[in-house]
Amino acid sequence: MADCQGIDPLVTPFIDGQLPGEDRRAVEEHLRVCAPCHSRVIAEQAVHDLIRARCHALDASAPGPLREKCVEMARLSLGDAVRHPAAHPRSLVFDRRVAHRSRTARVAPFALAASLVLVVGGAFLYQATAQSARVLAVELTADHLKCFAMNSALGTHQMAAAVESSMASGFDWRMHLPDNPSRAGLELVGARPCLYGEGKIAHIMYRHQGHPLSLFMLPKTARAQQLVEVLGHEAAIWCVGNRTFVVVAREPRPEVERIASFVRASLR
Amino acid sequence: MMRAQGLEVVPPAFEAEALAYLDSLYRSALRLTRVPADAEDLVQETYLKAFRAAGRFEPGTNLRAWLFTILHNTARNLARDRARDTVSVDSEFVDRAADGPPAGGASAGAAETPETLLLRDTLAPDLQAAIDALPDAFRQAVWLRDVEEFSYAEIAEMLSIPVGTVMSRISRGRQALYERLQARAGRRPSPVGVTDA
Repeated sequence: MADCQGIDPLVTPFIDGQLPGEDRRAVEEHLRVCAPCHSRVIAEQAVHDLIRARCHALDASAPGPLREKCVEMARLSLGDAVRHPAAHPRSLVFDRRVAHRSRTARVAPFALAASLVLVVGGAFLYQATAQSARVLAVELTADHLKCFAMNSALGTHQMAAAVESSMASGFDWRMHLPDNPSRAGLELVGARPCLYGEGKIAHIMYRHQGHPLSLFMLPKTARAQQLVEVLGHEAAIWCVGNRTFVVVAREPRPEVERIASFVRASLR
Repeated sequence: MMRAQGLEVVPPAFEAEALAYLDSLYRSALRLTRVPADAEDLVQETYLKAFRAAGRFEPGTNLRAWLFTILHNTARNLARDRARDTVSVDSEFVDRAADGPPAGGASAGAAETPETLLLRDTLAPDLQAAIDALPDAFRQAVWLRDVEEFSYAEIAEMLSIPVGTVMSRISRGRQALYERLQARAGRRPSPVGVTDA
């Protein structure tokens, strides 16, 4: 006859009906003579049955806008922009015609590592974006949205010196942030580890009149200077030496241009 | 699969099936984060990763379980990114704390078993509140088993813990729920005439 300790690991699979015959019989036999274990099984069984009985009432439907955003996530992964960068100059993601046409051949970057711990890597970014500044802008805009949304970062305030020193140690980028960001309506939030960059892309966050604004630095990347509209945001791209800089914000185009030229001029 | 310049085609069927699990992923994300906005972010991130990794998904295997694994990995990574790894700290704590003696629950009268009492007395919102109040490690295990009905092995993969730990967390989680719900029922006036919708 098994003792309580021997029975313990069998109780849950017993309740879930996952126990082979022999073990099942051993548990049943033990329960007949052991009141504490019997009580435990009844309690666990009761909770299991209760949850099953109330299961449909625990259901929550995903909000409509979330569904739309998740559908957009599929579009974020598509390669239309890579293959037809000029065909849809104003909207990559929200254009239903694009979505419809790409249904036959949806394209996604594949460079994910073997692990299921899926951090989209810098390797992917550089590889895919060798094709298109628009894809680069989409990636970084998505990152901009995620970083602000997930980190509740708008409430924080890091000192410029702290950001500068983390850029120096993390990216071997000895730089000075713009001295008087408030002249461009900017307020430093801080630097965050980037979800997409695996640490290969620097992400410095600002508030611009209370709204999130991101400055990205991609080392060893060259890009032509341009302004791209993606996901309702403007992305201003420029290059200094072998570094590419991107400012992303949901602001009118002239405003983003103005901020980008301020940063370009005052970032050293 | 078409491959060209590091890109590959995601079959439309993959997207359609993946999106069919949106509600199920969302409600689980909600139980993970307990904050709707965070749950939405988590689900979006899960889909973004899933669509990007579509080429790595093996057709014929369980897409729903695969998505749940991404969901839980993402949640863990986010927790780590935020430098407050509530999941692992919390689970160590509860695994230790729960190693007490099993709950003795069968003190009710002969006619009314604890099960019938619990079923009669516990409304869905009470159950929901009790589940939400569980420590993360227990809540995830019980939820994935009793609501989402994943196998122990699938849950082990999702939570990155051994199967034995999955079973013990389910067990401790159910016991904790039982005690909580019993205590609640004991505090409440007799629920005569109250029925669960």
